[in-house]
Amino acid sequence: MNKDEPALLVRDLTAGYQKKPVLWSIYLEVPQGALCCIVGPNGAGKSTFIKTVMNLIPATAGDVKIFGKTLDEGRSRISYVPQRESVDWDFPASAYDVVLMGRYGKLGLFKRAGKEDKRIAMEALGKVGMESFASRQISQLSGGQQQRVFLARALAQEADLYFLDEPFAGVDASTEKAIIDLLREMSREGKTIIAVHHDLQSAPSYFDYTILLNLRLIAAGPTAEVFTDKNLQDTYGGKLTLLTEVGDLMKNKRFPEREK
Amino acid sequence: METFWDFFSFTDANVRYVTFGAILVTSSAAIVGCFTFLRKKALVGDAVAHAVLPGVCLGFILSGVKDPLWIIIGAFITGWLSLLLMDQIISKSRIKEDSAIAFILSTFFGLGILLLTWIQKSGNAAQSGLDQFLFGKAAALVGNDLIVFSVVAIILIVLVVLFFKEFQLLAFNKDFAQSMGLPIKLIEFISTSMTVLAVVAGIQAVGVVLMAAMLITPPAAARYWTNNLQKMLLLAAVFGGFSGLAGAYISYLAPSMPTGPWIVVVVSLIAFFSFFFAPEKGIIPLARLQKRNQQKITDENILKGLYHLREDEKHLKQKFTFDELLEKRPMHKDRFHKSIKRLSRKSFIILDNHSLDLSESGLVVAKRVVKLHRLWELYLSEFLNKTPDQVHDEAETIEHLITPELERQLEVRLNFPNKDPHDEDIPY
Repeated sequence: MNKDEPALLVRDLTAGYQKKPVLWSIYLEVPQGALCCIVGPNGAGKSTFIKTVMNLIPATAGDVKIFGKTLDEGRSRISYVPQRESVDWDFPASAYDVVLMGRYGKLGLFKRAGKEDKRIAMEALGKVGMESFASRQISQLSGGQQQRVFLARALAQEADLYFLDEPFAGVDASTEKAIIDLLREMSREGKTIIAVHHDLQSAPSYFDYTILLNLRLIAAGPTAEVFTDKNLQDTYGGKLTLLTEVGDLMKNKRFPEREK
Repeated sequence: METFWDFFSFTDANVRYVTFGAILVTSSAAIVGCFTFLRKKALVGDAVAHAVLPGVCLGFILSGVKDPLWIIIGAFITGWLSLLLMDQIISKSRIKEDSAIAFILSTFFGLGILLLTWIQKSGNAAQSGLDQFLFGKAAALVGNDLIVFSVVAIILIVLVVLFFKEFQLLAFNKDFAQSMGLPIKLIEFISTSMTVLAVVAGIQAVGVVLMAAMLITPPAAARYWTNNLQKMLLLAAVFGGFSGLAGAYISYLAPSMPTGPWIVVVVSLIAFFSFFFAPEKGIIPLARLQKRNQQKITDENILKGLYHLREDEKHLKQKFTFDELLEKRPMHKDRFHKSIKRLSRKSFIILDNHSLDLSESGLVVAKRVVKLHRLWELYLSEFLNKTPDQVHDEAETIEHLITPELERQLEVRLNFPNKDPHDEDIPY
């Protein structure tokens, strides 16, 4: 593995829902070992960005490289923590069952989880301080505990690049601290973290790398350089009415984003 | 009663086959249905069940005989077609999912009835029994029919075992499964095909009209008894299989009776029993829990009232009349007397001719409740910046809820204080 290769390289990424563009031609790279946040107002396309990078939403144009390889070659090295609200927590499963799901990608079809997988799942639960809740039905966990379970599942994947969609949404203060401590430790071990983050206040102290996003890329780079008043003004201030209107027009007239 | 033993002794080979077939198809449908249920596709399952009817008829028209293989192929094709059309309508038009389902269900079923009527009018003698596919006839599960439908059911069960973890992941968190690179389109295709096949397997025993109930009702009932997916599949299979057995028995008892409705009635009874009586989740256990909580609150309030009366008298007087207590702590007379009975039975209070006193153990409980009330008031005013007059009402309920672990945390957090925000003593 080449150390200089960026963990994530995105070129000209454009994406949208039902013909309405949400992201316009994004170019950026995130170096290995970065603890990176994606910041932007509501509806800026932050979740869409990470979903498109992982091809959960098909991109209308553009190209993604994971550690210099294509997405499919890099799949086994990425891990995804979806928004907590995106699943039904009344599903018949225990915290441990959910964490074990993190091993399914490595197992492949038809194989069952073995001793080693079970050990890794338990260890992951331990890292987020949830061993004693292993057998608890997931609907009986608090929001913060559910988020920890999701994080443990990601840890069980033993990936190198982690995408987290709002890991701090709706969690208590102690969980927030536990999560950021864990992310820092992972970053020190050379793992790359990319997290959608909502809180401008804590972003500079939590993350060393920042992507500012609002339908298009405002800036991406080390937090100290990117987190300027001007950039934040560009991200949050001045509504991009023209960009939104052109997007609506494309949707209503069924216009393609690129010539096919 | 005699027929009961005739049936359940299984001496008649025919009875054995019919029973075996009915149990197999209903339990396999229940197992497959668990994933339909968890993916929240119950209504889609219903639409598919109705949409296989035109396929059944087409299978017959094309082959000219009532051959189960042709019928399954026809049913599978129109079942799938209905699913594809539903997806297309939802993604390409302004029609929303619920309308699309209703539209497809009625269109396909209408078409099916049309074809069925046409076949019956055509005078083809081979068509007799085709109308059994509407409401099912378990007794017809013999010979070729039995073999074909059972093979389908067995394939379904094997597939669930093989793809268990993929189906689990698809139902719980599809995006995550996809992010791992699982072939999610393929897994979805298999899962959906299985729903269609489960419907097809059940049409002889249950019929298309009620087949959706076999997909959804056993899982819904099973979910009440367990939080474990494997156990849920097993239980659903047992519930489904039992109703299939009942259907076979009815079919044996009254050969002219359609079996589908009977099977559905039995499985629905199991479901209703589960909704009401399943421990923890059932309506009645939950209501009893609520009642016990209510009783606990009343009991503790009476003990607390007695303690407050003692405090008012500087602990010099310890025995109080019912009226004194009711004046201190007004409550409904009925509730009061019932609670007094409970408390004296548990010997928390000592009754003496319309006056009462706390026993040793009663005093311990009373002191704890008063302590928790005052600790909570203090906590609210210190950590949530509430004024002393805002904290009382909230503490009234919280005091009955706090566990010993929380109690300890509260004491440590507040550093074992002596006075509450109203400057009253906190008893330890």
